[in-house]
Amino acid sequence: MSFIDFVEGPLYYVAATIFVFGALWRVIGIIRIGRKKDISPPKGSAALGFFKGNLRHFFPRGIFARRTWLHIVGGYGFHLGLFGVLLFAAPHVAFISDRITGFSWPTLPRWGFIITAEIAFLGLIVLWVRRFSDPVMRLISDWDDHIGTWLTFLAMLSGCFALGESSVFLRATHMLLIDIWLIYFPFGRLMHAFTFFLSRGNTGATYGRKGMNL
Amino acid sequence: MSDQSRADIAVAKFLEHTDSEAASFFEACVHCGECAEACHFYLSTGDPKYTPTYKLQPMIRAYNRDKAPFSSLKKMIGLAPSKVTEEELLEWEPLVYDSCTMCARCTLVCPMGIDIAGTIRKMREGYAAAGMVPEGLQSAAEYVEKTSSPMGVTIKALKAQIAHQEKACGIPIEVDKQGADYMAIFSSMEIMGYPEVLGAYAKLFKKAGVSWTISSVAYEATNVGVQIGSAPLAKDILQRVVDAAEALEVKHVISPECGHAYGAIRWAGPNMMGRQFKFEVVHIIELLDKLRREGKIPAGKKDGRRMTLHDPCQIIRRGGLLKEPRSLLDDSCSDFIEMKGAGMASFCCGGGGGVSANPRAEELKTAAFGLKAEQLNSVENLETVVVPCANCRTVFEDGLDAYELDLEVIGLSELVAETLAED
Amino acid sequence: MKQPLTTGRLSNTTWFARVATLMLLCALALVFATSAALANSHVRPPGDAVNVIADDGAPNTLGDRSDAEIWDDFRGGDPKDLLAPRPEGTVMTTTGQQWRVIRERFIVKYAGWFPVGVIGILALFFVVKGRMPIKGGRSGKTVPRFTLIHRIAHWTTAGVFMILGLSGLIILLGRPVILPLFGHEVNSTLTSASLQGHNLFGPLFIVCLIWMFVKFIRGNLFQLVDLKWILKLGGLFGGHVSSSQFNFGEKSWFWLLMIVGAVMSVTGLALEFPWFTEDLRWLQLSTILHGVGAITLICVSIGHIYMGTIGVEGAIDSMLIGEVDENWAKEHHDLWYEEVTGKSAKDDGNEEGAVT
Repeated sequence: MSFIDFVEGPLYYVAATIFVFGALWRVIGIIRIGRKKDISPPKGSAALGFFKGNLRHFFPRGIFARRTWLHIVGGYGFHLGLFGVLLFAAPHVAFISDRITGFSWPTLPRWGFIITAEIAFLGLIVLWVRRFSDPVMRLISDWDDHIGTWLTFLAMLSGCFALGESSVFLRATHMLLIDIWLIYFPFGRLMHAFTFFLSRGNTGATYGRKGMNL
Repeated sequence: MSDQSRADIAVAKFLEHTDSEAASFFEACVHCGECAEACHFYLSTGDPKYTPTYKLQPMIRAYNRDKAPFSSLKKMIGLAPSKVTEEELLEWEPLVYDSCTMCARCTLVCPMGIDIAGTIRKMREGYAAAGMVPEGLQSAAEYVEKTSSPMGVTIKALKAQIAHQEKACGIPIEVDKQGADYMAIFSSMEIMGYPEVLGAYAKLFKKAGVSWTISSVAYEATNVGVQIGSAPLAKDILQRVVDAAEALEVKHVISPECGHAYGAIRWAGPNMMGRQFKFEVVHIIELLDKLRREGKIPAGKKDGRRMTLHDPCQIIRRGGLLKEPRSLLDDSCSDFIEMKGAGMASFCCGGGGGVSANPRAEELKTAAFGLKAEQLNSVENLETVVVPCANCRTVFEDGLDAYELDLEVIGLSELVAETLAED
Repeated sequence: MKQPLTTGRLSNTTWFARVATLMLLCALALVFATSAALANSHVRPPGDAVNVIADDGAPNTLGDRSDAEIWDDFRGGDPKDLLAPRPEGTVMTTTGQQWRVIRERFIVKYAGWFPVGVIGILALFFVVKGRMPIKGGRSGKTVPRFTLIHRIAHWTTAGVFMILGLSGLIILLGRPVILPLFGHEVNSTLTSASLQGHNLFGPLFIVCLIWMFVKFIRGNLFQLVDLKWILKLGGLFGGHVSSSQFNFGEKSWFWLLMIVGAVMSVTGLALEFPWFTEDLRWLQLSTILHGVGAITLICVSIGHIYMGTIGVEGAIDSMLIGEVDENWAKEHHDLWYEEVTGKSAKDDGNEEGAVT
């Protein structure tokens, strides 16, 4: 079995399984801990608050945006760029439609792919540089933060290297790094991708019940 | 109590109070540091240790070690975080008590919507259970056990203040009136420091034509249990009020211009007691606004002083009463100017959540007030600041002095009472 | 270091200016990108092309004319002329042969040695002179020098520059160095990867360059005190030289980076979007300037890195934590120190090595 066959084959299946089941285990585990029912007379709807909270925290509140604009620009640049590339770049759509969904969808033109990737890279670099430059970030960051950032960066970088689409080795390296990323994902802070809706929702629900939108 | 067992007690409490809500918070934090940018303690000192998420470290570690979904797996391969030690808990004690007023500005800014303020409240349960509470709060708790008041205000002292106020406003204030519409509870700070509020209530309720009373056995609103973080103590304090109110068969209990008291009785109360109350809880500002909308307390001549409003955290940001104080002020004064940054994201006075009762936190509290001073300075020629929270008022008095700002500080009820339409 | 309190450092105007600049850059990027899509429609045969097909329609590959004559018809132009445009009716041009020679015989051959030479010189310098210690040792007290945004701008630019420098060197030295050492497979993989990386990160460097310019221009304008600094050779052979926030050396690096960086940006964009010009000369010139500029920046940046890390004790603090030791400031940037602290930088104010 060649290198590419291995990373696109057995290793990928193992990685994808760990990713899916690991993430599910963690999210379900959090929900199963449970919370006591609130019996105080409500002023608003908790359910509505769950959704409102999720939407509200997408937007930096005006007074804070001035102090934290770099984090917001870098953060959104990186995330939107990454999703754009992941979901709309032709090679990815081909892989996903081939292996997962069975159907495909319109993709970005090559120049769109490049620009989106550039935004994602710049955002991620700015975020990581901020992580070791800001004294607050230095205090609160741990190994998980750095490993998560670097695994993501290397996965993206290897993808960039493989853009020529002529080297099987480069494509395989990209896939290998993705596999490693998928395996690491459920055990670290990358899981925020699936837990953020719970935390925002919980706060939204708790305060929504009190008639507030925090 | 041996060293290890204090840590064990604290950690057990941490885990007990880590429900799925707190767990979702711990699992969602990405260490982005934005919470620091919102915290007045970090902003005024520049010290990274006041980063809100950092304050939760011991509780987060305990969760990751013993309760998180992959914790057993991680323990098996030696990757679980180390046990929380008493040394660490003691190191974190000033962070948890001195540098947090549970103002929830961090909750507002967090991109993951993590309620750090609410979780500090849960974390304090571990500290209270292990007996690691700042001295100032400990003595407040002891006073409460003896006199129901954290400042040791006895019924004798209260009755003396009532008598003074009855004389001053010429309206009787009834104690222990059966079946009254409203039973009012007050913070000790109001009773001893700003007793005019008693006269203000009398005037306002007479005008509105509603009956009200004060209970001789349950007049204290401040809930030290909430500040210390002891659910059993919080419940006991509340029980007194609930029993008295239900014995008097009043229809409503009024939570005063005080910070955490409202949240304690209105939201935490029924959950602590395990049942609904036989009365409704209403905040005095809510009530005054309601009475004004109903035309029962019409406004008269407006106060002409240049005024601004301080937004107490537990009433506005965490209490939901953003509009009510403003509409009352629009009716009551002719020169009201909002401070820069007022409203939902306004700065905490720096002394709530037990900080002002903690002498060890004095310097930090004064430093934090610097941000409030900046807000006040944004209004030119300011004369008066309306502060609808008795605890904030004491912090303001010290803070204005420290920053050499010459401003009058008044409560909202008093202002509304003073600007009431003449009969 | 006291953080600014409620009022952020950005006024609404600056906030607006930043957003507007970002949007402008995005618009520019879009213009370049869409041009790529349109470029394909511009391909057409050259005018007056020589047709070797015989009149009866059958291809006449052997023909009546000699091979040399046929090739002469295809080819045109003076090989020595670097900048002449392609002659009418030719398919192959020999203009630019000179360019090719320059590139192969000078740039590719020698470029790689310059960074090696610089490293060698610095190593020698370090062995002979050693690290420049802080006069009087660390005082233990600090002065703020660079804000968080300054540091983030610097390190982001540095990271992007490293990626570009490394990938650029691989592209340049792939055939002469990597191929003979590691073989075809390795060379083609590395060069292919490097080209993709270089092309993608290139535009990011342009954004970073503008960011660096905006953040560091203040303090980098040349002053009279810089003349005195030059005359004393920066205190290289002992003696004290005064300096404001940035000394002559630092200012020179700033301006070199800005100017050469601008050249790199323009030539880089020209090479990435070659359809923007009909004229091959621009692209030929671009490759030369890009290569020379790259080696220049790489060499000087090695010096910059040396000075900022090993070379001068206490220098790295400014970029890692944003604050510098007072004694370091007094020694290296005394005028700036006085301006910022209001205290005198004279020797009698120094505290002898208070902290190990």
